[in-house]
Amino acid sequence: MHIQDGVLSPAVCMATGALSLSAVAYSLHRLKESVGDRTIPLTGMMAALVFAGQMVNFPIGAPVSGHLLGGVLATTVVGPWAGCIAMTLVLFVQWALFSDGGLFAFGANVLHMAVIGAWGGHAVRLLVQRFVGDSHKGIVVGSVVSAWCSVMAAAALFCFEFRLSWPAGEIDFSKVFAWMVSFHSLIGVGEALITGVAISFVLNQRPELICRAGTSVRLLHKGDLLPETGKSSGPTVATSITRTLAAGLVIALAIAAFLSPFASSFDDGLEAVLSKLNITEFNLTPSVPGLFEDYDKVPVPLASWQAIAVSIAGIGGTLAVFGLALLLGKALPSGTAAMTSEVAGE
Amino acid sequence: MSDYLDRFGRDQSTCHRWPPLVKLYVAMGLILAATCAPITHGPLLGLIACAIFFVHSLARIPLAFVARRLFFFWPPLFLMALSLPLSQGCRAGWLMSATIICRGTLSFTTALWLVNVMPFDQLLATLRRLRLPSVFLAILALMYRFLFVLWDELDRMRTARQVRLFRKPSLWEQWQQGAQMLGRLLIRALDRADRVHGAMMARGWQGETRWLEQRQKDQR
Repeated sequence: MHIQDGVLSPAVCMATGALSLSAVAYSLHRLKESVGDRTIPLTGMMAALVFAGQMVNFPIGAPVSGHLLGGVLATTVVGPWAGCIAMTLVLFVQWALFSDGGLFAFGANVLHMAVIGAWGGHAVRLLVQRFVGDSHKGIVVGSVVSAWCSVMAAAALFCFEFRLSWPAGEIDFSKVFAWMVSFHSLIGVGEALITGVAISFVLNQRPELICRAGTSVRLLHKGDLLPETGKSSGPTVATSITRTLAAGLVIALAIAAFLSPFASSFDDGLEAVLSKLNITEFNLTPSVPGLFEDYDKVPVPLASWQAIAVSIAGIGGTLAVFGLALLLGKALPSGTAAMTSEVAGE
Repeated sequence: MSDYLDRFGRDQSTCHRWPPLVKLYVAMGLILAATCAPITHGPLLGLIACAIFFVHSLARIPLAFVARRLFFFWPPLFLMALSLPLSQGCRAGWLMSATIICRGTLSFTTALWLVNVMPFDQLLATLRRLRLPSVFLAILALMYRFLFVLWDELDRMRTARQVRLFRKPSLWEQWQQGAQMLGRLLIRALDRADRVHGAMMARGWQGETRWLEQRQKDQR
């Protein structure tokens, strides 16, 4: 999942770095003003939890296994601001200890996994909760849908950044995007499944731990009940509009992921923008004329067929995720989670 | 566990004795050079690779260790890089994938060097000198501490699960159990955060972090 150095061009790295720097700075600002001394250990614990949670392997095939990304899980428990900081720290420690993800691509990684995961995930979850309700079911359905959406939005954004990073003409980008999107839709289903089961488990066992809509961080001590959405925690009109906008943006990006293979005309448009802005010199790799000729020899029917296949896969994936969300929400009060918890417990 | 993470971080070599900021700048310079050098300039890339090899040997990091880390690092990078030409029907994109593999490998080995010559507490001190927000650094420091605690917790839960399982669970059960283990870990972690917060309050925590400036110098 991590973007290594060298995949994106320096200009794109700088732009994404600036974006995520401001996002993280804003999160830190909100975090500082919203709560007292309790936040620091709580956020640190959440970051450590996501990091440790990524050590739990989920087998896919014989040698391949996946793991949690955790942005939506963190934001469901501690809210978007602390969640964003926690995810940023997870990415930083992964770079500093495992050299996972590049140093200059760190901004892009933060943007994809921390900002989209925490802010976008939170916005989408609240939007879904508005339709499904603030009940446990609403939280589970919302987190499942937002986990999937955040992965797809990150994939779409990556495609866009990748397209900006490399000179056009060398390869057919729509096919690369088709690969990328199909791959990420699988990752997204896995992430949605893990997040949904984990959150419904916590809701079963200790419902007071899950952050309700409007409260940014759990302020109260264990055993106290969280305030219902009242005067202190009720979102103002302005934040609700921003949230809806953010949710819309993430959902639009997720949908755009499936349209990206179609975007062959998009290539030309982007090229025009690039030449207008005079930023083509940032492309450091010289394009090779010999490979250039292959570009328009690509058989068109095959290309469009592939694009259609990806879109069908996308629609199927979306339906699967929504079905999953409803199933998990429905299965919530049943005792299955409690039964298997004995196995997982000490 | 600390040995597993930055194994050679506490060695004493020429590189380890460099001032922390110098290490950081050397690493950043090497990564910048590796990501900006065009793939067609073979000698330049070779020079960068030699420089990276040189600092690695200066830090006395065993080659076998680097090779082992590369063995785990390469599969995802190759997957990403080779998807470019493969998606084009193997007709184009080879140069791009070569660029990605080359730059990725060079910057990865540089980052690996930095990790292994700079222990985490030194990195924290350096970041503080670079004037990152102190709240951010306090959370980072606590996270690093909690990591080992939660890893141990996870280990205990894994052992408990293995002890109680008498058959190999199916794929779906493995997923379900893994996710529920995560949920259980979440509950325990948050409870522990509560206890830690209480303990910090008992020791006079008022929401701001005080760093021991002297500690860093003593350790060196």
